[in-house]
Amino acid sequence: MASLLLFYRLLVRPLFREPVRTALTIFAIALGVAVVLAIDLAGSAAAGSFRSSMETLAGDNDLEVVATGGVPESAVGTLAQLPFSLRISPRIEGFAALTDMKESLPLIGLDLVAGGSSFTGANSRTNFGAATTQDPQQGLRDLENPDAVYVGASLGHKTGEHIELLINDQSKTYTIRGVYPDANGNESAVVMDIAAAQRALTRFGSVDRILIKVPSAPSLEVWQRRLQATLPPGLEVRTQGTGTAENRRMLQAFRWNLRLLSYISLVVGAFLIYNTISISVVRRRAEIGIVRALGAGRNTVLAAFVGEAAVFGMVGALLGLPLGRVMASGAVRLMATTVDALYVSSRPGAIALTADSIVSVFVVGIGVAVASAFAPAREAALVSPVEAMARGRREYDVGVHKMRDLVIAMGLAIAAGAASRGPAIAGKPLLGYLSALLLIVASVLAIPAFVDAVTQASSQLLKRALGIEALLASRSLRASLRRTSVLVGALSTAIAMMTSVGIMVGSFRETVILWMADRLPADLYVRPAGNAAADRHPTLSLDLANAITTLPGVAAVDRLRSYEITYDGLPATLASVDLQILSSYNLRNYKKSEFFSGRPTEQVLAELSDANTVVVSEPFSYKHHVKAGDSLALSLGAVQQFFKIVDVYYDYSSERGNIIMDRNTLLKYLPDEAPSNLAVYVTPDTPVAQVRSEIMQAAGGHRILIFSNANLRGEAIRIFDRTFAITYAMEAVAIVVAVMGVAGALLALVIDRRRELGLLRFLGAAKNQIRKLILLEAALLGLLANVAGVILGFAISLVLIFVINKQSFGWTIRFHWPVAILLVALTSVYIATVVAGLYPAELAVRLNPLEVVHDE
Amino acid sequence: MNSFGATNRAYGAKPEHYFRAGICFFFFALCGNLSGQTQSLYEIARPGYAYQFPRDYFSHPGYQTEWWYYTGNVVAGDGHRFGFELTFFRQATDRDPTRDKTWDVRDLYLAHAALSDLDGGKFFHVERLNRRGPEIAGASEAQQKVWNGNWQVKWKGENQELLAIDKNFSLDLNLVSEKAPVIHGKKGISQKSAGDGHASHYISLTRMATKGELELNGKSYDVTGLSWMDHEFFTTQLDTSQQGWDWLSVQLTDRTELMLYRFRRKNGTVSPFSSGTYIDTQGKSTHLRANDFSLEADGTTWKSQTTAALYPIGWKITIPQLGIVLEAKTPLPAQELTSQTNLAPSYWEGAITLAGNRGTQALSGVGYLELTGYDHAIHLP
Repeated sequence: MASLLLFYRLLVRPLFREPVRTALTIFAIALGVAVVLAIDLAGSAAAGSFRSSMETLAGDNDLEVVATGGVPESAVGTLAQLPFSLRISPRIEGFAALTDMKESLPLIGLDLVAGGSSFTGANSRTNFGAATTQDPQQGLRDLENPDAVYVGASLGHKTGEHIELLINDQSKTYTIRGVYPDANGNESAVVMDIAAAQRALTRFGSVDRILIKVPSAPSLEVWQRRLQATLPPGLEVRTQGTGTAENRRMLQAFRWNLRLLSYISLVVGAFLIYNTISISVVRRRAEIGIVRALGAGRNTVLAAFVGEAAVFGMVGALLGLPLGRVMASGAVRLMATTVDALYVSSRPGAIALTADSIVSVFVVGIGVAVASAFAPAREAALVSPVEAMARGRREYDVGVHKMRDLVIAMGLAIAAGAASRGPAIAGKPLLGYLSALLLIVASVLAIPAFVDAVTQASSQLLKRALGIEALLASRSLRASLRRTSVLVGALSTAIAMMTSVGIMVGSFRETVILWMADRLPADLYVRPAGNAAADRHPTLSLDLANAITTLPGVAAVDRLRSYEITYDGLPATLASVDLQILSSYNLRNYKKSEFFSGRPTEQVLAELSDANTVVVSEPFSYKHHVKAGDSLALSLGAVQQFFKIVDVYYDYSSERGNIIMDRNTLLKYLPDEAPSNLAVYVTPDTPVAQVRSEIMQAAGGHRILIFSNANLRGEAIRIFDRTFAITYAMEAVAIVVAVMGVAGALLALVIDRRRELGLLRFLGAAKNQIRKLILLEAALLGLLANVAGVILGFAISLVLIFVINKQSFGWTIRFHWPVAILLVALTSVYIATVVAGLYPAELAVRLNPLEVVHDE
Repeated sequence: MNSFGATNRAYGAKPEHYFRAGICFFFFALCGNLSGQTQSLYEIARPGYAYQFPRDYFSHPGYQTEWWYYTGNVVAGDGHRFGFELTFFRQATDRDPTRDKTWDVRDLYLAHAALSDLDGGKFFHVERLNRRGPEIAGASEAQQKVWNGNWQVKWKGENQELLAIDKNFSLDLNLVSEKAPVIHGKKGISQKSAGDGHASHYISLTRMATKGELELNGKSYDVTGLSWMDHEFFTTQLDTSQQGWDWLSVQLTDRTELMLYRFRRKNGTVSPFSSGTYIDTQGKSTHLRANDFSLEADGTTWKSQTTAALYPIGWKITIPQLGIVLEAKTPLPAQELTSQTNLAPSYWEGAITLAGNRGTQALSGVGYLELTGYDHAIHLP
């Protein structure tokens, strides 16, 4: 009971006396916790519980047969006739865009005749045949009608309705022959009979996957081997959902980096708690002294302050929980966009607030609060009763061992440098993160020396420039060096994060822009309409491609074809280009080599011509540890073939990794001539706009997108920016937290210095001067934090660009200062800091000097 | 002659089967409706058809409907008796020449497999439906094979190998015909109702020595016995007055065989187009007209819990001109094939034993009995 009373008197009451500051601290924790929770929840939904959209209606099968470019459909017959009790479900997998909704849905072609169709086993609630039950005769007609589709209920359509679908470059009206329950959209797809799906996609002769349910005995591995033995070598029998597992693996690095980024807000929040509790300790020295004198032990005091922090943490977590849940909804959309743009067409799962995540919110919130409060709480416990109760004594400020700390900081910075040279551990840039962390700690330790030096050196300058208030502000900051350092540390860490990520993204963006200038030489680009995604390669009709080639004013058309493949357990893109056209029309644009070897492009292209050779992109090379001279074993159609890597090229179009070969070579193995994209070169004397409209006309009923060179670059940068939107959002939160901290700290500063400020007033300082003093302090704090933050940010950005990015994604990014963005960001932070000083300044002005000095 | 019947049953299928069920239903019930428009696409069974073997053992895509029925009575080394049925149906649905892609549905292939554990008192049956697709199902002379997935009949010279694999049971039987193929009816056609072309081409292999292995619930049996094959192809057959039929095949111990069927009309009378065939020991066949024999239910019935149909499962056969009097009984009353979907036809098809005499000579045998139209009237083209 007594300790509760102590807790109340010593801690709770002061909290209520300063509701604004208390609220700010708690809200800062809430925000920090919320960001971590939001990213965690959204990460699970968008990436962690990632399901490839192709697993829609895939059911409870055990194995699947896949091959690059499709499984020859004869394999279905082979498997169906094997003398084993198997359930064989061939599938066509593509995408259909709803013309009215601009949304891409999986297009699944199933054998709707076969009794063992995966789909009857897939989902016992699935009902494709509502239409057929009303009119059984329709059943067969639906099979014969290539326009019959079945859609998930979540689309809100009814049987018999018509629906406009864009499939590859063809937009057609289809008739909904049935609606099936799709588990709130999780199983939503456009389903067709396999024959209709092949027609819609003009993809005959192969299926995309054969799903197989095997008997429970013998083991899955035995079945896998047994079935593999019956199929041609290019076909792979693997556990069902391997693709999803691969995609998950691919997404791990992405999710991991996002999660670590989300901890920034929390780190900033930790600084603030440290600061808040430190201030409490200083301000309540007298009370602590009394309590100690009345017999409270050191541990009681320690426990009381740690307890206070724990309460902060708990309340912050309580608030952060709903906040994080709300933020997660926004984050999952941003993340899904990124996943779609960079990796794979996905379907974010539902955001699930699990018991685990709730517990972890509290553990993190309270843990961070307690950990950051421990040092000041210990300090409080060390207060001796006599000392604290001595009347008239000036406020105590713990001495800062700034020189000792500076030496440690330098040691840590050297360690950080060393860590940044280390390799990735288990595919994760752990040492890179360690390096960044060491840099932050080093910076925090170096800040007292930095603040001391700067304020000392600049005080006279300030006095001359801004008057006596500036001198006082500078001196005051220097006098309470520790408090100032903590504030500068918190704010500069947030600024450093913003700066470093800003530099990293800016450098990346600039690299991509420069790269595109080299890599997009054609005048016009044509692709099927619909949203782009890293793993979707819809094709253009061959007749359209041919028609475009013969248009007047068209010099040449490069037909690019892409396939989604798996290499060594990771998804990748296999593409082919027309070397002849590339060599004759492309080279004029190359100012420098796009290859690792530094060789001229024509030399590398010559080695690709009509040979089993490929070039691979940098991320591919990095992920699979292959380089020029190595060979890749690729399964194409039903054969397996080795391809020699002749060079590695810089590529920023996708994180997945690309393999490129000659069009003629690829056609030998996968004889599907339909191109995914066309690069159109216009003759020098023809206006590009004229050819563009000719293509539009030639397209007729085909639904295509035409990009001019500038369009395409703009589009690419738009996707790029969208991809990094979440990064910006997280930084913004960290900055808000930091600025709130500054506001709270300035408030405390004013309250602490009532006596000093009162004395100043008493000695004749005008209200304006007091206001100016406080605002100048805020301005000075902001400036110090900005300078320290930019220096730290620059150092961290080097680690991000050259270590963390490289090890996570394998991209070579050129360093670039995004000057404009940084200036805008830093200025806003700076203004926010000064604005945060307004309220405390007003408070200071309103102090009654008589009353304050009376205290003394 | 065999069951190709369907029902107009109210829909009571589990939802997951709706789609498939619709097809099955169509498969059986609606060809008639479609045939109005498409009949001209198909040939009809006409007198004077020139049979040629082995060609005519395989597919006749010019006709709309075709089926292959294998039934048999076998016994394991320990005396355990089994009956089996393995049937393949082909139903043409489309002959549009522009629809020539692999997965285009031109024919639907339905198959039934059933195993009667006569001494164990259990009956197992499975059905499957496929399109031809990439050789998923078919009947090909070039490949010497009639198949639906891994249910297959492979011809190896004069031998046929029957394979059927399911979760509960599997068959691997070798069949050798001891007699030449029988062509039922007159002038190469088996007339089923009044009118030109209301007939089928109907071939049987009536006595096939059978040896092989069957597996039931993990236990395997070496078996021997006798099998019967029916193969019919036609485009139109019945008329609307017909309710169903009772059909049986009989293999007698004196190395003769009998095939008999009678059509029941909706008004309760028996159609004059009922007929039969008698095959003597040399393989010579005699056509039996409706009034050459009598086929009467003896009052033994079995009521299906699933379809509520009341099947007459005991019969008395009299063929005065041959002096044959036989009683057909079944060791296992429950041999009804109910569609998994409840929409496809349900029918009773099961192993029977026969006892009686020819003149004064005692006579016995084994056979298969098929009863259709006991729950609903049959629709056939």
